[in-house]
Amino acid sequence: MKSKLSAESNYDVLELSGEIDLHYSPELREMILGSLKDGKSLLINMAEVSYIDSSGIASLVEGFQTAKTAKLSYGLLKISSPALQVLTLTRLDRVFTLYDTAEQFQSHL
Amino acid sequence: MAAAEKLLEFQFPATSAHLCTVREKLREVLGSCSPSEELLNCIVLAVGEACMNIIEHAYCDDDAGDIILEIEKQGDNMIFRLTDFAHRKSSKEEMKSRPLEEIRPGGLGCHIINEIMDEVQLIECNSDCGNVLQMKKKLEL
Repeated sequence: MKSKLSAESNYDVLELSGEIDLHYSPELREMILGSLKDGKSLLINMAEVSYIDSSGIASLVEGFQTAKTAKLSYGLLKISSPALQVLTLTRLDRVFTLYDTAEQFQSHL
Repeated sequence: MAAAEKLLEFQFPATSAHLCTVREKLREVLGSCSPSEELLNCIVLAVGEACMNIIEHAYCDDDAGDIILEIEKQGDNMIFRLTDFAHRKSSKEEMKSRPLEEIRPGGLGCHIINEIMDEVQLIECNSDCGNVLQMKKKLEL
Protein backbone atom coordinates (compact mmCIF):
# COMPACT_ATOMS: atom_id res chain seq x y z
CA MET A 1 0.00 0.00 0.00
CA LYS A 2 1.14 3.51 -0.76
CA SER A 3 -0.54 6.59 0.62
CA LYS A 4 -0.35 10.34 0.35
CA LEU A 5 -2.20 12.79 2.56
CA SER A 6 -2.71 16.31 1.26
CA ALA A 7 -4.61 19.24 2.68
CA GLU A 8 -7.23 21.26 0.82
CA SER A 9 -8.60 24.43 2.41
CA ASN A 10 -11.33 22.76 4.44
CA TYR A 11 -10.75 19.04 4.04
CA ASP A 12 -7.98 16.44 3.66
CA VAL A 13 -7.49 14.08 0.73
CA LEU A 14 -5.97 10.66 1.34
CA GLU A 15 -4.78 8.98 -1.84
CA LEU A 16 -4.37 5.22 -1.56
CA SER A 17 -2.84 2.81 -4.02
CA GLY A 18 -1.84 -0.85 -4.21
CA GLU A 19 -2.94 -3.67 -1.94
CA ILE A 20 -4.44 -3.06 1.51
CA ASP A 21 -4.38 -6.08 3.77
CA LEU A 22 -3.85 -6.94 7.43
CA HIS A 23 -0.22 -5.86 7.14
CA TYR A 24 -1.14 -2.29 6.14
CA SER A 25 -4.59 -1.74 7.66
CA PRO A 26 -3.24 -0.54 11.07
CA GLU A 27 -1.29 2.19 9.20
CA LEU A 28 -4.42 3.10 7.21
CA ARG A 29 -6.45 3.30 10.43
CA GLU A 30 -3.89 5.63 12.00
CA MET A 31 -3.86 7.92 8.97
CA ILE A 32 -7.65 8.13 8.78
CA LEU A 33 -8.20 8.69 12.49
CA GLY A 34 -5.24 11.12 12.66
CA SER A 35 -6.73 13.27 9.92
CA LEU A 36 -10.22 13.26 11.47
CA LYS A 37 -8.76 14.06 14.91
CA ASP A 38 -7.62 17.40 13.47
CA GLY A 39 -11.28 18.19 12.85
CA LYS A 40 -11.08 18.11 9.06
CA SER A 41 -13.43 16.30 6.71
CA LEU A 42 -11.81 13.51 4.72
CA LEU A 43 -12.02 12.33 1.13
CA ILE A 44 -10.29 9.02 0.39
CA ASN A 45 -9.23 8.50 -3.22
CA MET A 46 -9.41 4.77 -3.96
CA ALA A 47 -8.92 4.83 -7.73
CA GLU A 48 -5.62 2.94 -7.54
CA VAL A 49 -6.52 0.38 -4.88
CA SER A 50 -5.99 -3.02 -6.49
CA TYR A 51 -6.96 -5.11 -3.45
CA ILE A 52 -8.59 -4.50 -0.07
CA ASP A 53 -9.59 -7.09 2.50
CA SER A 54 -11.91 -6.94 5.51
CA SER A 55 -9.19 -5.47 7.74
CA GLY A 56 -8.80 -2.52 5.36
CA ILE A 57 -12.58 -2.18 5.18
CA ALA A 58 -12.66 -2.17 9.00
CA SER A 59 -10.32 0.86 9.00
CA LEU A 60 -12.63 2.64 6.54
CA VAL A 61 -15.68 1.81 8.70
CA GLU A 62 -13.99 3.10 11.85
CA GLY A 63 -13.23 6.34 10.02
CA PHE A 64 -16.85 6.56 8.87
CA GLN A 65 -18.11 6.19 12.44
CA THR A 66 -15.57 8.66 13.84
CA ALA A 67 -16.46 11.25 11.19
CA LYS A 68 -20.18 10.77 11.85
CA THR A 69 -19.73 11.31 15.59
CA ALA A 70 -17.59 14.42 14.96
CA LYS A 71 -20.11 15.68 12.33
CA LEU A 72 -17.43 15.74 9.62
CA SER A 73 -17.89 14.80 5.98
CA TYR A 74 -16.31 11.53 4.91
CA GLY A 75 -16.35 10.02 1.46
CA LEU A 76 -14.71 7.59 -0.93
CA LEU A 77 -13.60 8.96 -4.29
CA LYS A 78 -13.34 7.09 -7.62
CA ILE A 79 -13.51 3.70 -6.00
CA SER A 80 -11.71 1.01 -8.02
CA SER A 81 -13.55 -2.04 -9.29
CA PRO A 82 -11.83 -4.56 -6.91
CA ALA A 83 -12.58 -2.30 -3.91
CA LEU A 84 -16.20 -1.79 -5.00
CA GLN A 85 -16.55 -5.56 -5.32
CA VAL A 86 -15.67 -5.95 -1.60
CA LEU A 87 -17.96 -3.09 -0.52
CA THR A 88 -20.82 -4.65 -2.49
CA LEU A 89 -20.19 -8.09 -0.96
CA THR A 90 -20.37 -6.59 2.53
CA ARG A 91 -23.26 -4.25 1.56
CA LEU A 92 -21.19 -1.27 2.69
CA ASP A 93 -21.64 0.36 -0.73
CA ARG A 94 -24.99 1.48 0.74
CA VAL A 95 -23.33 2.94 3.83
CA PHE A 96 -20.37 4.93 2.48
CA THR A 97 -20.89 7.96 0.29
CA LEU A 98 -19.14 7.30 -3.02
CA TYR A 99 -18.06 10.21 -5.21
CA ASP A 100 -16.93 10.36 -8.83
CA THR A 101 -15.33 13.80 -8.44
CA ALA A 102 -13.84 15.90 -5.63
CA GLU A 103 -16.24 18.70 -6.63
CA GLN A 104 -19.21 16.51 -5.67
CA PHE A 105 -17.66 16.02 -2.22
CA GLN A 106 -16.95 19.75 -1.86
CA SER A 107 -20.58 20.55 -2.58
CA HIS A 108 -21.58 18.38 0.42
CA LEU A 109 -19.32 20.21 2.88
CA MET B 1 -16.27 -38.16 -9.73
CA ALA B 2 -13.11 -36.82 -11.37
CA ALA B 3 -9.83 -37.41 -9.55
CA ALA B 4 -8.42 -34.38 -7.75
CA GLU B 5 -5.31 -32.88 -9.28
CA LYS B 6 -3.03 -31.10 -6.83
CA LEU B 7 -1.99 -27.71 -8.20
CA LEU B 8 -0.20 -26.26 -5.19
CA GLU B 9 1.10 -27.03 -1.74
CA PHE B 10 2.62 -23.96 -0.11
CA GLN B 11 3.73 -23.68 3.50
CA PHE B 12 4.31 -20.24 4.97
CA PRO B 13 4.64 -18.53 8.37
CA ALA B 14 1.30 -17.28 9.69
CA THR B 15 2.09 -13.57 9.62
CA SER B 16 0.48 -10.65 7.84
CA ALA B 17 3.73 -10.01 5.93
CA HIS B 18 3.22 -13.28 4.02
CA LEU B 19 -0.33 -12.58 2.82
CA CYS B 20 1.02 -10.81 -0.25
CA THR B 21 2.98 -13.91 -1.32
CA VAL B 22 -0.12 -16.07 -0.80
CA ARG B 23 -2.10 -13.82 -3.16
CA GLU B 24 0.68 -14.02 -5.74
CA LYS B 25 0.65 -17.85 -5.56
CA LEU B 26 -3.14 -17.93 -5.85
CA ARG B 27 -3.15 -15.63 -8.89
CA GLU B 28 -0.45 -17.75 -10.52
CA VAL B 29 -2.33 -21.03 -10.03
CA LEU B 30 -5.81 -19.67 -10.75
CA GLY B 31 -4.59 -17.77 -13.80
CA SER B 32 -3.77 -21.08 -15.48
CA CYS B 33 -7.40 -22.18 -14.93
CA SER B 34 -8.73 -19.08 -16.76
CA PRO B 35 -11.54 -17.88 -14.48
CA SER B 36 -12.98 -14.41 -15.09
CA GLU B 37 -11.06 -11.51 -13.54
CA GLU B 38 -13.95 -10.93 -11.12
CA LEU B 39 -14.06 -14.55 -9.97
CA LEU B 40 -10.29 -14.66 -9.60
CA ASN B 41 -10.38 -11.52 -7.41
CA CYS B 42 -13.17 -13.01 -5.29
CA ILE B 43 -11.34 -16.30 -4.72
CA VAL B 44 -8.09 -14.50 -3.84
CA LEU B 45 -10.06 -12.36 -1.38
CA ALA B 46 -11.83 -15.32 0.27
CA VAL B 47 -8.65 -17.38 0.71
CA GLY B 48 -6.86 -14.27 2.02
CA GLU B 49 -9.66 -13.75 4.56
CA ALA B 50 -9.37 -17.37 5.71
CA CYS B 51 -5.58 -16.97 6.16
CA MET B 52 -6.18 -13.76 8.10
CA ASN B 53 -8.63 -15.56 10.43
CA ILE B 54 -5.96 -18.15 11.19
CA ILE B 55 -3.34 -15.44 11.87
CA GLU B 56 -5.64 -13.38 14.07
CA HIS B 57 -7.81 -15.97 15.80
CA ALA B 58 -6.30 -19.47 15.65
CA TYR B 59 -2.71 -18.39 16.30
CA CYS B 60 -3.21 -15.88 19.08
CA ASP B 61 -1.31 -14.73 22.14
CA ASP B 62 2.16 -16.32 22.03
CA ASP B 63 1.17 -19.15 19.72
CA ALA B 64 2.82 -18.93 16.29
CA GLY B 65 3.36 -21.34 13.47
CA ASP B 66 2.85 -22.12 9.83
CA ILE B 67 -0.08 -22.44 7.46
CA ILE B 68 -0.21 -24.90 4.58
CA LEU B 69 -2.27 -23.88 1.56
CA GLU B 70 -3.23 -26.69 -0.79
CA ILE B 71 -5.08 -26.13 -4.04
CA GLU B 72 -6.69 -28.97 -5.95
CA LYS B 73 -8.75 -29.08 -9.11
CA GLN B 74 -11.51 -31.66 -9.29
CA GLY B 75 -13.46 -31.37 -12.53
CA ASP B 76 -14.85 -27.83 -12.59
CA ASN B 77 -14.33 -27.40 -8.84
CA MET B 78 -11.37 -25.80 -7.14
CA ILE B 79 -10.61 -26.98 -3.63
CA PHE B 80 -8.65 -24.75 -1.24
CA ARG B 81 -7.43 -26.37 1.98
CA LEU B 82 -5.76 -24.43 4.79
CA THR B 83 -4.06 -26.36 7.57
CA ASP B 84 -2.72 -24.69 10.69
CA PHE B 85 -0.99 -26.08 13.77
CA ALA B 86 -2.48 -23.74 16.35
CA HIS B 87 -3.15 -24.95 19.88
CA ARG B 88 -6.58 -23.37 19.71
CA LYS B 89 -9.31 -25.36 17.97
CA SER B 90 -11.67 -23.32 15.80
CA SER B 91 -15.41 -24.04 16.01
CA LYS B 92 -18.05 -24.16 13.27
CA GLU B 93 -19.87 -21.42 15.18
CA GLU B 94 -16.97 -19.03 14.52
CA MET B 95 -17.28 -19.55 10.77
CA LYS B 96 -20.79 -18.03 10.66
CA SER B 97 -21.42 -14.58 9.19
CA ARG B 98 -22.49 -11.74 11.47
CA PRO B 99 -25.55 -9.57 10.72
CA LEU B 100 -24.51 -6.94 8.17
CA GLU B 101 -27.05 -4.45 9.55
CA GLU B 102 -24.61 -3.80 12.39
CA ILE B 103 -22.30 -1.15 10.95
CA ARG B 104 -19.12 -1.70 12.91
CA PRO B 105 -15.47 -2.44 12.12
CA GLY B 106 -14.49 -6.10 11.94
CA GLY B 107 -16.21 -9.46 11.73
CA LEU B 108 -16.77 -9.38 7.97
CA GLY B 109 -14.20 -12.02 7.01
CA CYS B 110 -16.46 -15.05 7.50
CA HIS B 111 -19.30 -13.33 5.63
CA ILE B 112 -16.97 -12.73 2.67
CA ILE B 113 -15.75 -16.35 2.69
CA ASN B 114 -19.29 -17.79 2.94
CA GLU B 115 -20.58 -15.43 0.25
CA ILE B 116 -17.86 -16.28 -2.28
CA MET B 117 -17.26 -19.99 -1.71
CA ASP B 118 -19.78 -22.73 -2.58
CA GLU B 119 -18.78 -24.88 0.38
CA VAL B 120 -16.89 -24.03 3.57
CA GLN B 121 -16.06 -26.83 5.94
CA LEU B 122 -13.97 -27.21 9.08
CA ILE B 123 -12.61 -30.75 8.81
CA GLU B 124 -12.24 -32.76 11.98
CA CYS B 125 -8.62 -33.67 12.57
CA ASN B 126 -7.49 -36.25 15.06
CA SER B 127 -4.39 -34.51 16.33
CA ASP B 128 -4.47 -32.46 19.54
CA CYS B 129 -3.77 -29.20 17.80
CA GLY B 130 -4.42 -27.65 14.44
CA ASN B 131 -7.37 -26.92 12.19
CA VAL B 132 -8.17 -27.80 8.60
CA LEU B 133 -10.49 -25.50 6.67
CA GLN B 134 -11.64 -26.65 3.25
CA MET B 135 -13.34 -24.33 0.77
CA LYS B 136 -14.78 -25.35 -2.57
CA LYS B 137 -15.61 -23.14 -5.55
CA LYS B 138 -16.96 -24.10 -8.96
CA LEU B 139 -15.17 -22.28 -11.74
CA GLU B 140 -17.55 -20.58 -14.15
CA LEU B 141 -15.38 -20.36 -17.23
